Amino acid sequence: MPETLTTGSVLPELRVTITRAGIVRYSGASTDFNEIHFSDRHARAIDLPGVVAHGMWTMGAGLRIVTDWIGDPARVLEYFVRFTRPVVVPDTDEGVDVLYNAEVKAIVDGVATVSITATCGDDTVLGAARAQVRVD
Amino acid sequence: MPISEEHAGRTYPPSAPYRVSAAKIAEFAAALGDDNPAYAGDDAIAPPTFAAVIAAQAWGAIFEDDELGLALHRTMHADQRFQFARPLRDGDDVVATLSIERVRTRGNLDMVTVVVDLVVDGSTACTARSTLMHTQEDSNA
Repeated sequence: MPETLTTGSVLPELRVTITRAGIVRYSGASTDFNEIHFSDRHARAIDLPGVVAHGMWTMGAGLRIVTDWIGDPARVLEYFVRFTRPVVVPDTDEGVDVLYNAEVKAIVDGVATVSITATCGDDTVLGAARAQVRVD
Repeated sequence: MPISEEHAGRTYPPSAPYRVSAAKIAEFAAALGDDNPAYAGDDAIAPPTFAAVIAAQAWGAIFEDDELGLALHRTMHADQRFQFARPLRDGDDVVATLSIERVRTRGNLDMVTVVVDLVVDGSTACTARSTLMHTQEDSNA
């Protein structure tokens, strides 16, 4: 556990790279085989520019900004996100980066409320993201 | 008849138990690129958002409910909330029960809030609440 926890604390920024290979891996692990996560043709059919990452990947990968900080993921009590924009993943070796930032908004009765932002290029990909974690 | 506010409160039969395994936890944590030691070894717990894997399987019930007229390929995941009573662990048998909590319709868009209760040994381990945005079939298409 971090030693100093106060409202307004900013957590270390987290940068996560996602590639097509990473999406395929998440499809298998999550059993979400929606075609928009591996086929440009299917993605374009619903007006996406191309293959997109799973929203649940964006949500799940981002929680690490909190769990890396608190250590024990069992301390997570609640986690909410709104999926505002999809993460479009080009068919390149480099893929694309999602940048997460987080700030402690309140600590009440041993529970910290942490707000999280996630951006991919100029796009905000998660909205109103918040986690509540036990810090006592 | 399409889905309407009258369907709020509808609950579907519980799923067959889903057995959480260390191998699946390791696979899921690797897919998130998360090497937190809690996800490995004896007494491994699942990453919190692993609950979505079981919850999303339970969503099948609303797409198979002909009365609602919902199509998966016209559905987007708008938001997601998890509330945890305890983490899911290697060896847990998880029973998922899906309910429709709220339906709002604006034009040809249905905002459907579904709740999946994930129960282990008779107690709720996690509640997964999702808003699904469904576009109604265009009758002029």
